Amino acid sequence: MNDKTSGAMGDKKVKRRDFINSTMRLTAAVALGGLAGMTVSKSNSGQYVWQIDPFECTQCGRCATECVLTESAVKCVHAYDLCGYCDLCGGYFKPGVKNLETGAEYQLCPTAAIERKFIEEPYFEYIIKEDLCIGCAKCVAGCTSFGNGSLHLQIRHDICVNCNECAIARSCPSDAIMRVQADEPYLIKGNFSPEEPAKWKNKS
Amino acid sequence: MNKNEKIKTYYNVAVVAGVITLVVGFLLLFNYLQMSGTDPVESKALDALIQRLDDDPGNSQLKEEIRNLDLMARKAYFTAKWQIQTGGWILLFSAIILILALRNYFVLTNKIEEPEKNPVSENAARVISSRWVLIAGLIIISAAFLSSFLSVDYLSRYETVDDGAKEQADKAVEVVDLTEEDEKAVPETEMEKKEEAVLVADTLPGDVEEEESEKVKQNREEQENTAEVAELKKEKEVVNQPKSLTSDFPSKSAIESQFNSFRGAWGNGISKAENLPLKWDVGAGTNILWTADIPISGYSSPVVWENRVFVTGGNQKERRVFCYDTASGKLLWNNLVDNIGGSPSTSPETSEDTGLAAPTSVTDGNVVVSIFGTGDIIAFTMEGKRVWARNLGVPDNHYGHSSSLLAYDGKVLVQYDTNKSGRLLALDIVTGETVWDVSRDNRISWASPILAEVDGKMQVVTSTAPKVAGHSIETGEELWAVECMMGEVGPSPAYANGLVIAGNEYATLAAIDPAKGEIVWESNEYLPEVASPVVADGLLFIATTYGVFACYDVHTGNKYWEMEFDEGFYASPVIGDDKLYAPDMQGVVHVIAIEREGKKLAANEMGERIVTTPALLDNRIYLRSDNKLYCIGQ
Amino acid sequence: MTNKQQNRPYLNRIVLFLLFLMLGISSFAQTQRFPKPEFETGYTQPSPTTPEPQVFGIEYLDVLVLVLALSLASWLAIKKRSRKGIMWLSVFSLLYFGFYRLGCVCSIGAIQNVALTLADPAYAISIPIILFFVLPLLFTLFFGRTFCASVCPLGVLQDLVIVKPISIKPWLQKALGLIPYIYLGLAVLLAATGSDFIICRYDPFVGFFRMGASFTMIFLGIVFVLMGLFVARPYCRFLCPYGVLLGWMSRFSKSHLKITPTECIQCKLCEHSCPFDVIDEPTEELKHEEKIKNRKRFTIFALLIPLWMFLGGLALSGLHGFLAKAHPDVYLAELLIKKPGLKNDTENLDVQTFLASGKTMEQLVHEASVIKAEYYTGSWILGVFLGLVIGVMLMNQFVVRKRTDYEPNKTGCFSCGRCIDYCPVKK
Repeated sequence: MNDKTSGAMGDKKVKRRDFINSTMRLTAAVALGGLAGMTVSKSNSGQYVWQIDPFECTQCGRCATECVLTESAVKCVHAYDLCGYCDLCGGYFKPGVKNLETGAEYQLCPTAAIERKFIEEPYFEYIIKEDLCIGCAKCVAGCTSFGNGSLHLQIRHDICVNCNECAIARSCPSDAIMRVQADEPYLIKGNFSPEEPAKWKNKS
Repeated sequence: MNKNEKIKTYYNVAVVAGVITLVVGFLLLFNYLQMSGTDPVESKALDALIQRLDDDPGNSQLKEEIRNLDLMARKAYFTAKWQIQTGGWILLFSAIILILALRNYFVLTNKIEEPEKNPVSENAARVISSRWVLIAGLIIISAAFLSSFLSVDYLSRYETVDDGAKEQADKAVEVVDLTEEDEKAVPETEMEKKEEAVLVADTLPGDVEEEESEKVKQNREEQENTAEVAELKKEKEVVNQPKSLTSDFPSKSAIESQFNSFRGAWGNGISKAENLPLKWDVGAGTNILWTADIPISGYSSPVVWENRVFVTGGNQKERRVFCYDTASGKLLWNNLVDNIGGSPSTSPETSEDTGLAAPTSVTDGNVVVSIFGTGDIIAFTMEGKRVWARNLGVPDNHYGHSSSLLAYDGKVLVQYDTNKSGRLLALDIVTGETVWDVSRDNRISWASPILAEVDGKMQVVTSTAPKVAGHSIETGEELWAVECMMGEVGPSPAYANGLVIAGNEYATLAAIDPAKGEIVWESNEYLPEVASPVVADGLLFIATTYGVFACYDVHTGNKYWEMEFDEGFYASPVIGDDKLYAPDMQGVVHVIAIEREGKKLAANEMGERIVTTPALLDNRIYLRSDNKLYCIGQ
Repeated sequence: MTNKQQNRPYLNRIVLFLLFLMLGISSFAQTQRFPKPEFETGYTQPSPTTPEPQVFGIEYLDVLVLVLALSLASWLAIKKRSRKGIMWLSVFSLLYFGFYRLGCVCSIGAIQNVALTLADPAYAISIPIILFFVLPLLFTLFFGRTFCASVCPLGVLQDLVIVKPISIKPWLQKALGLIPYIYLGLAVLLAATGSDFIICRYDPFVGFFRMGASFTMIFLGIVFVLMGLFVARPYCRFLCPYGVLLGWMSRFSKSHLKITPTECIQCKLCEHSCPFDVIDEPTEELKHEEKIKNRKRFTIFALLIPLWMFLGGLALSGLHGFLAKAHPDVYLAELLIKKPGLKNDTENLDVQTFLASGKTMEQLVHEASVIKAEYYTGSWILGVFLGLVIGVMLMNQFVVRKRTDYEPNKTGCFSCGRCIDYCPVKK
């Protein structure tokens, strides 16, 4: 075998390899394009964020501990529209409380994150101090079982980092956490638009 | 700085950063463990103090103590949080320094490596690699194989007990084989069997034969409920043999002479009772034969068969069936409805005016069958011996299930329309097994089915939104349907003079010819919302929730008269002894004449709310309030 | 009664009914027990605050930064050939995608969103996520894995902590190289069945970016960083599922980073420059009998591929019950069948919530068996895929390509550019 022929053979091999390479590249590109096309056809230009459906929530308290952030992104929200402004508030006082006073011994909230403010006889306003709230849902449980359910949990989007998979959604026993469109990121009770927000749950 | 000095500097920096990283890391870990160990939300010490305060509410020192402790706990919690945050940043920073220093240190101390003297030839390396890939591949696949043998398929275990969706429900019926009673009389064998069954159940439920699984279930039930077993044993002698039950289904005329289901024999609100009292006085006891307490409230109406009255009661905690003696009002038996396969451990939410015991039971003189808002349906003998029980699936019903039962031709007919689906079932009254189960495309309904004899053949008629329909009793097949209802249908239909009358508030009041399946006349002046229409002597009576009572000609729909009462009607009026008995919500039982002129005959005050339909049999009225059963007669 | 009177409750009912419709069925359970008071002192009711999501609007900026970073990375690796530039770009990516954007959504995790979109018609994916998935693959198809070198925050973090890389024997690399395929297959299976996003759940580095995470995440992160001091890029090489896809693309890439800009002078200086051991040496001339042996092995392994696929499918399909436990419904159903006593355990929130939901055991078991059936099909596909991977990998050992120079292995090379600095040929 002389040099000339081997060179020619080498050329041939190189050409063949190039041909295979470009064919494969084309195939990969087409496959990639197909995949992208298929997904785009099902896509939505909007972004999704996580939110709690307050009607599904069972106030189990996992939101406080399961969030990937040290300070849970879930906090209590007060839908004032639904509030009865009760003197004896099931979300504020421990059950069976005897005196309606604001001392620590009567408060349900472990971090004293609810402020009770007198408005007029016999009505009181309850305000959540968000920097103190840890999302434990104790007040929510109290309000839901004894009151109107105006206190409820929501994911606060100034804190939430919007993980691809929400750790609370996975551990939520009642599948209450769903994805909602980012332009309507809250499901505040009594504040829903008539049509259901586009949603999809990570857990089917 | 020469190279050696540099190396030394980097080394020192690395050591310092390393120490800081380690220390902060350990502190953080310690802090983390401490935080996760103590729950800020639950403080036992605080709870204990508050407990003490409950006993001693005036103790201001104690209050102060609680407040201090609470403040301390909260401070500690937020401090720990801050510490973790800050510690994290310090850790990150020191780790970056450490890595940079280490990098530079290693770069500077790095000597250029000598090329390997005797490198493995490339081809040999390929062979070695392929061998290891082969080994890895084999390990992966054999590990998968091995663990697939070790994994247990629990789901299929469940299905060996209950197979397939519909059969599941069927097999969930637990039938107490009464012939086994003799064996049970010997306690030793029973004990043995129990142990055996439990063993089988615990180790190999998947392989349990069907028969055995029934026994297992039954035995389990016995274990958990020995009291009931004892009760059953006592009554062993009087237990009917189940085989005879089949042939025992009473004739049409036998049923007609009883008040065996909601609104009487065929659910039409007509009783053959005679000599019924017109007036009575609860306070003075006039014409009150007896009253009995019903331990658990419920909105189901009484049903009567010869000398027995049955009612049900239920709350979140328990559901029960009660049997009273008609002569004395004595509570003969009082059976718990429990240990039913598929029954939810937490009862579904119901509205207060529906509850869990709204549907009325049905009896054929051999067994009494009752259904509850949990979806549990259960049959007892007249003596209170449990015959069968099953769960039809927890009804998705926002007020609570309230359609009552019917029985005909050896079948129990169940209208089971929920938010999920429309459904009508027939169960064998002896075994509880499904005879047919028809799904229908209607919405949820709270009305009860009735029986109607059309062209000489009995059929079951239901009123739902949007359909009023007749179904064959043999097959469940829809025979005719008219779409005229809407909203939340509460009133049951009525059948008389060849016409089905159905009505609902905000929809219509319609007379339908079931033979042709078309509407004969319609009206919407007065519409019932809860109470069902009733027909006698060609007159149709409607009781509304806003207190108007109206009478129409059943053939033409012409209104004869209307009366206004202070209270609305929830209880369905019934007719007996040529009089109409209509309890209103305030508990006044109005007696109205069946005439073309509106005539009030009497108004009897019960003194408490009545929402159930009276049962009329022989010359007595059985009336149930929330927690009382009245027997009224002369 | 007049008509008017009769109409009143009718209207009320309609209003109520509409209200119910608006609030949905579940609101039946929640009635307003205490009506809102009418205040006399002129109290104005505050409304709850609703801070906008952080992601709002920024996601397209992310895509823009991604495209710019990818372009710059490719230019730096192929045209500019600057290791320094690549390193500084990687620091920027770490700060932006990692610490500023908190590492979510990343291209690796986007695999799962794409898989779920294709499997579940109800799942809507957002376009930025698709772009995050597709763009790096597309760039790799043309310029090699420049994404890994200086854009991927996870890769970059590991790249920056390499202190003293040790060389790993080729056979061990090859055997461990199977893991990413398994991880990819599992991730796709679990995502497509809507069970779990394991790539996100066990992402070892995202905890650093967020300065906080679950204990397992932090633990994994520390382990990987410590390992990464000596074993260069352990996650990228032996775990990263996206790396599998990138490898496929890179293998056929149009242009790729080269060690020498022009002619290799065979100085062997670069031989040990690569911390990832992905520089292929020039091939040696084989003896004739060795060539024949290789060809024989190649044929045998090629013929064995279908067997591998079948075995893989068979083995993994047997494992479907085990895999299906990843789905919470299947897990709960099996748990309740295995331990019916748990129904009385008031501490077990999942069980109690299920019981309170009014769903029957039959429904749960039915749903679980539907999911399990999906898993059966899915694990067959997964097994066939893994069998194919093993078979092809074995076959590939004996595809001998002639090389005269030192070249980066296109599949494995991250285009980090370290070798460039070692090459004495500059122009």
